[in-house]
Amino acid sequence: MSTSELLIPLHVSYIQKLGENKDDLTYHLTSHLRLNAVYWGLTALAIMGRQDALDRNEMIEFVMSCWDEEAGGFGAHPGHDAHLLATLSGIQILVMQDAMERLDVDRVAKFILSLQQPSGVFAGDAYGEIDTRFLYCAVNALSLLGRLGDLDVKKTVGYIKSCRNFDGGFGASIGAESHAAQVFVCVAALAILGRLDEVDVDTLGWWLAERQLPNGGLNGRPEKLEDVCYSFWVLSALSILKKVPWIDAEKLTAFILSAQDPEGGGIADRPGDMVDVFHTIFGVAGLSILGYPGLVDLDPVYCMPAEVIEAKGLRKDWQALPRREK
Amino acid sequence: MHGVKRVKPTPQALEARKQKERSKIQEFLALSEDILQRKKDNDFSEDAFKQTTRLLHVNPEFYTVWNYRRTILVKGLSVNRTEEEINKLLADELVMTMAALKSHPKVYWIWNHRRWCLERVPNGPGAEGEDTANGWKKSAWDQELYVVEKLLDADARNFLAWNYRRYVLAGMPVPRPDTLELAYTSKKIQANFSNFSAWHQRSKEFDLVRNAMYTDPDDQSVWVYHRWLVGTRASRGLLEREIEAIDELLGEQPDSKWCMESIVHYSVMLLKDHAAEVDVEQLTEKTRRLLGELEVQDPFRRQRYRELGEILAVLLS
Ligand SMILES: [Zn+2]
Repeated sequence: MSTSELLIPLHVSYIQKLGENKDDLTYHLTSHLRLNAVYWGLTALAIMGRQDALDRNEMIEFVMSCWDEEAGGFGAHPGHDAHLLATLSGIQILVMQDAMERLDVDRVAKFILSLQQPSGVFAGDAYGEIDTRFLYCAVNALSLLGRLGDLDVKKTVGYIKSCRNFDGGFGASIGAESHAAQVFVCVAALAILGRLDEVDVDTLGWWLAERQLPNGGLNGRPEKLEDVCYSFWVLSALSILKKVPWIDAEKLTAFILSAQDPEGGGIADRPGDMVDVFHTIFGVAGLSILGYPGLVDLDPVYCMPAEVIEAKGLRKDWQALPRREK
Repeated sequence: MHGVKRVKPTPQALEARKQKERSKIQEFLALSEDILQRKKDNDFSEDAFKQTTRLLHVNPEFYTVWNYRRTILVKGLSVNRTEEEINKLLADELVMTMAALKSHPKVYWIWNHRRWCLERVPNGPGAEGEDTANGWKKSAWDQELYVVEKLLDADARNFLAWNYRRYVLAGMPVPRPDTLELAYTSKKIQANFSNFSAWHQRSKEFDLVRNAMYTDPDDQSVWVYHRWLVGTRASRGLLEREIEAIDELLGEQPDSKWCMESIVHYSVMLLKDHAAEVDVEQLTEKTRRLLGELEVQDPFRRQRYRELGEILAVLLS
């Protein structure tokens, strides 16, 4: 099969089969990412218009089996400790599956808020690793829970501000180099908090636009290789800044499509590599932002279907490319 | 997964691999189950600790097991121990994670565990007031700086390592002189001008960037850094001086999009802030011409160049 088009039926069956890989060692070695993987798979399916391809009840039961009763958050897998990364995924799945009644909102909000540090950043769990990624997880989750009102917004924005670099981008902590994934989390968190005035749009837009390489793909930092997952990190940030036209959409679309596995389905980091669900969702998400025909609109701020976010009244002011006709 | 080539095994090869993995999977699952059960039972024994070593060796990303390991250290192994024994325990942890880092330099959880250990190195061996009062701490943090620099030699763009290095420098019991730090980043930048991570540690400096501009004009890092040095409110003199220098470089490299883009940017600044003191017509004409050329040279970003042209038009109206 040619990779000049998005092979939706193949990707759907690839995602459906992910849970059947129990005789594959890699499957077990990635259990610390299981709940995230379920969220990636579900979101990819939803953007391809096939959310029904995985059983809803089974998924909700799995999410609930990851609940860490001691901490009051989700772990990545039954028996694993609660962590912000898994907690956000768990909440996102429950929102997308319209099953929020299963969640103890007070407890999980308390868990999230307990992880904010005096500097304003968030730790991922009680053991204290800090990173702007966790700050985004907290802001996104609290927003979905309707509990942003409990957050010290000034302190939170203050930390993001202190991570802004001379290139207009943001790093993982104060003084850390800009990286497209960190740019996404900081810009998206600012969008949720209504504080995009903290972004130097011209400089950051320039930096982001220069992430596109001659083969059409995007890298995450200067002088690095292209990778499909940056299609999402860079594009989501560009769409929040309303600067998606600053890159060549056609060339990027072709690059993402060329990283598909035309036999087994799924998308890889680059053409000819092994596929995984992480690059599959971020490839599909990128294509949605680029207006690829037949896909469902993705909300780049929350990385969830736009419709779901609109229904909650949370839509921010971003701009993707218009959806193209077939 | 990053950078793993896709191979399509024959059904026989696939079956053989599954056979081979079957016992590994069983072993791994049995070990995880044993550990998670012990964790539930609040088992803080030496045995439990050894099990976590075995598992983390196979899978250093299993964050729950790192958490459990720290709990065992706190609630089990360091109970009723002397400071010296605790220092030894933590030193062993640093050795154990060093091995893990060598094969997995980008796993957050390992860096995080080292951080945790480092912060718990006790005072000693000397008593308070003696020279060696923080000897253990000093040697642990010195060693840490050495380790992180080794990893940066292997990959100068590992941003986890740079972040960690910054953390170590900030936390050292005896701070390192700034001059040493400047020498280190200079060395790293000169080894590779595109080393953005090292740029990043620098304070403002025009000479270094001017040098880099000539040596490696195709590297965005240099131009972004230059723009930051110039800032948003520059004097006419500074802008004209920099434009002249870049013009000269453009003479040698007539296709350089970075030169053209930078001249456009600084010219727009001149037109915006110093319109009364410059030849507006000539500058506008030149900027328009460069923008047109940029659209041809760098078509991926044509829309951005068009928007810059529109800004120029608004500025002049
Ligand atoms: Zn990737």
